[in-house]
Amino acid sequence: MLFQQIANGIATGAVYALTTLGLTMVYGVLRVLHVAHAGIYALGAYVGLVAFRFLESFWLSLLVAMVVCAAAGILVERFLYTPLLHLPRIVPLIGSIGLFIAMEEAFRIVAGPYALAYETEIRFLSLGLGPLRLTAPQSLIFTVTMLLLGLLWLLLSRSTLGLAMRATAMDADTTATFGVDTRLIVSLTFAIGSALAGAAGVLIGVYDNQVWPTMGSIPAYKCLAIVVLGGLGNIPGSVLASFLIGLAETLLIGVVAIPFPRDALAFVAMILVLMFRPRGLLGKG
Amino acid sequence: MLSGYLVTVLITIGIYIILALSLNLITGYAGQISLGHAAFMGIGAYTSALFYTKAGLGFWPSFLLAGLVAGLLGTILAIPCLRVREDFLAITTMGINFVVEATFLYIPFFGAGMGIGGIDLPHFFGQEISKSGYLALVVLVIGLMIALDRWLTRSWIGLAWAAIREDEEAAGAMGIDVVRFKVLAFALGSAGAGLAGSLYAHFLTFIMPVNFSFAQSMVILSMVVFGGIGTLRGPIVGAIVLGALPEISRPAMEYRTLVYGLLLLLLMRFQPGGILGEHSLLPRSWRKLCTAMQNGKTGQ
Amino acid sequence: MKRNLAERLAVLLTFVGVAVWLATPATAQTIKIGFFAPITGPVAADGASAKQSVELAMKEVNAAGGIMGKMVDLVVYDDRLNPQESVAIANKLIEKDQVVGVVSGSYSGPTRVTAPIFAKAGVPMVAGYAVHPDVTKAGNSNFRNGFLGEVEGGAAGEYAVKVLKSKKPAIINMDNDFGREISAGFAKRTQKLGSKPIIQEVYKYPGEKDFRPFLTRIKQANPDLIFAAGYYDVAALMTLQAKELGIKTPILAEEGFDSPKFIELARGTAEGVIIATNLDRDDPRPLVQNFLKNYKQAYKIDPDMVGASSFDAFMILVNAVGRAGSTNRPDVIKALLETKDYNGLTGKISKFVKGEVVKPVQFQIVKKGQFRRHGVITDPVVITPPVR
Repeated sequence: MLFQQIANGIATGAVYALTTLGLTMVYGVLRVLHVAHAGIYALGAYVGLVAFRFLESFWLSLLVAMVVCAAAGILVERFLYTPLLHLPRIVPLIGSIGLFIAMEEAFRIVAGPYALAYETEIRFLSLGLGPLRLTAPQSLIFTVTMLLLGLLWLLLSRSTLGLAMRATAMDADTTATFGVDTRLIVSLTFAIGSALAGAAGVLIGVYDNQVWPTMGSIPAYKCLAIVVLGGLGNIPGSVLASFLIGLAETLLIGVVAIPFPRDALAFVAMILVLMFRPRGLLGKG
Repeated sequence: MLSGYLVTVLITIGIYIILALSLNLITGYAGQISLGHAAFMGIGAYTSALFYTKAGLGFWPSFLLAGLVAGLLGTILAIPCLRVREDFLAITTMGINFVVEATFLYIPFFGAGMGIGGIDLPHFFGQEISKSGYLALVVLVIGLMIALDRWLTRSWIGLAWAAIREDEEAAGAMGIDVVRFKVLAFALGSAGAGLAGSLYAHFLTFIMPVNFSFAQSMVILSMVVFGGIGTLRGPIVGAIVLGALPEISRPAMEYRTLVYGLLLLLLMRFQPGGILGEHSLLPRSWRKLCTAMQNGKTGQ
Repeated sequence: MKRNLAERLAVLLTFVGVAVWLATPATAQTIKIGFFAPITGPVAADGASAKQSVELAMKEVNAAGGIMGKMVDLVVYDDRLNPQESVAIANKLIEKDQVVGVVSGSYSGPTRVTAPIFAKAGVPMVAGYAVHPDVTKAGNSNFRNGFLGEVEGGAAGEYAVKVLKSKKPAIINMDNDFGREISAGFAKRTQKLGSKPIIQEVYKYPGEKDFRPFLTRIKQANPDLIFAAGYYDVAALMTLQAKELGIKTPILAEEGFDSPKFIELARGTAEGVIIATNLDRDDPRPLVQNFLKNYKQAYKIDPDMVGASSFDAFMILVNAVGRAGSTNRPDVIKALLETKDYNGLTGKISKFVKGEVVKPVQFQIVKKGQFRRHGVITDPVVITPPVR
């Protein structure tokens, strides 16, 4: 049972990493508490579902969802966050909450209040290492997460665009003096981050076989918590935090059997970590 | 004579005013972002409910104990909050909210998922007070909160908070005991939330853990920022507008929550200081109007 | 000083503006029935089911000429699952709309909070499916059409042991009032009949989506039946993930699973799941078959337990108004108290005991993507609500 629970924990961690990835990038460049990222995630799930019903190709609909979410992300950045950057951080946070509530309601009004089924199943093989075995859907989500992580790593460490993105995240003003159009870089980062959120929405939609208006309400705070715990937009930190939280929750529920809800356990763990590392897991200073 | 419906809505708004004013002490004046204010409202509500229903204490002692216990726990829970700043603080306070809600939800002593019922309206000279009487009590507490707010902002404490809010390091270097003033903000703010929680519990007569969730914290914070954070009038007006909005928007039926979200979004986008913030449109034009009128008078 | 005055004026003006708006009265000519449900917010799907069903019921009543020659008018409010809002709604329904009676199409929280307000005002209230035991305790004008968690859980326990021959069931339930009551009822009954629940897992609702840690523990305990409580969305996740983990133990569930959406979302894993509920799809009575047909026609989706229960709650109230021959609230309450052998959509109601309904508990099985009759518990010992 222990091995199955570890596998469950790894899969949960992969789900968190997948949903958090985009937010980590966005957070890195703008440092806004982007609650509405979870709205983009749900938007991706809905767009993917509709596209799938028309196109009948899963991978094509995934692409459509990512493109639409990228566009939505740029809109949010240009319209909402960039004009508010010089203000106290709480202002964009409340604006973001408003946007998120409005998005959830818009999904319900347009697509109806009931959860929608994806009506597709991606066949995948079950991966394992010794006695540790992931089920087929768990393997799928784990593989996709790793794949996206790899691609992102390549983009950030091997391309000029990636270099500009990292530089902007570190110090936008200095980067601008080197002739980098940081506004463009911020928008591009938002586009990529939001496309990743859209992809997460589609994949989790298929993984759980349901898409519903308030599907973003848990990722809305959970992903933020993971990003911050990881060290404020530090990508390896976020991934580490995702797997740590996924495993901690699952093992505390499944092996130690503490009768306490998942989120509360996760937050207890987070607060403990922050007491020892007040700048996050891989944060500096 | 006010109708029962109107009184009900006014009591709800009044409780939110107390909550918004108390959060404003922590987040507005002392500049410590808190995403878990509902936790202290819940602690107050549960303290009051337990003392009233299980210990058989009357309303008044329960009410005061609610403020006291919430203030005490606010002081204790401020300790982990001292180690972290900004977004780390936001996540820590958010976490406190989840843990507190889960404690009410999973521990049978707190009624668990069944909630606590039978928390009546207070009695006054052996008679249950009327709804209007209760509204008067709420208004009285608001009055005390306003007085406290005025006194704090005009005292050394208010200045120290402002210094910490603007630049914590500089404040420390100037000899301000940052830790003490931060803890004081959390203690006072939490005590205020505890009193509001008690009023809430005795008004609803039945409480459940979900009433004090993270979502509730967001509602309170939205009110503070919506009206104008760090001012006295802001949280009050924010609580009035956002507290009344669910009732005013009733005719919009299934669009009413959408209206709420859009209003928050657009106001923050175009009036980021809140409707009555220092630099917002309404106060600015009002001041202009006042000066114009004054100039007109002197010109005569 | 000038600015201070300005501030105070602004605050005062906002207050007055709100007050004036709220105080505008409403008038009525028809028989007004109040209704509230979570139409927006996190559980809007149940709010939609309840609202649609009650509106269907109202149309049916009015198409048949109304009651006492008057049309029935439904006053619908959205409570957003928010207790403060539902208190305001209750006061509004009582004072401004002056409704004859009220139907709750909402969850326990709002229903439980408003019950004493309606009781104090002497307004009859019939709750569709809210389960909190205290809903009916506030006064003799409060009624419930849905089962008490304890009764439904007890019936499920009886069924588990006597029909499904379970000796060592496992229990998984959500942490709210319904989950805790129904699992307690189930455990109590099975123990009385000589079986022993070997493991109980509790999960957070709403919020939990990953049941694998719980199911892995259950699998390890090796039960011969899983009694599962939850709402349709998590129900589908539970059956999907149980299959993923290779769990073949039969699943017995409750009315929260009773939605066509559960079957749709479960992607085939719902097959063979048995649920305790109140709506029997194979009931030959025209009342039931017409409802199933008309609902589908009107809303392009099959009805669920929430909808059927709200439909019934409305009809019970309207029927009582008709029998009382008056819109006088005490007369309606008296008629409700005298309800006897009422032919309801969700079963024949023999009577109300202290506001609690007495009717058979239905068991349905998912077969070829449809709910089908599996059995019924009519034993009065099991289905009569306990009087505390």
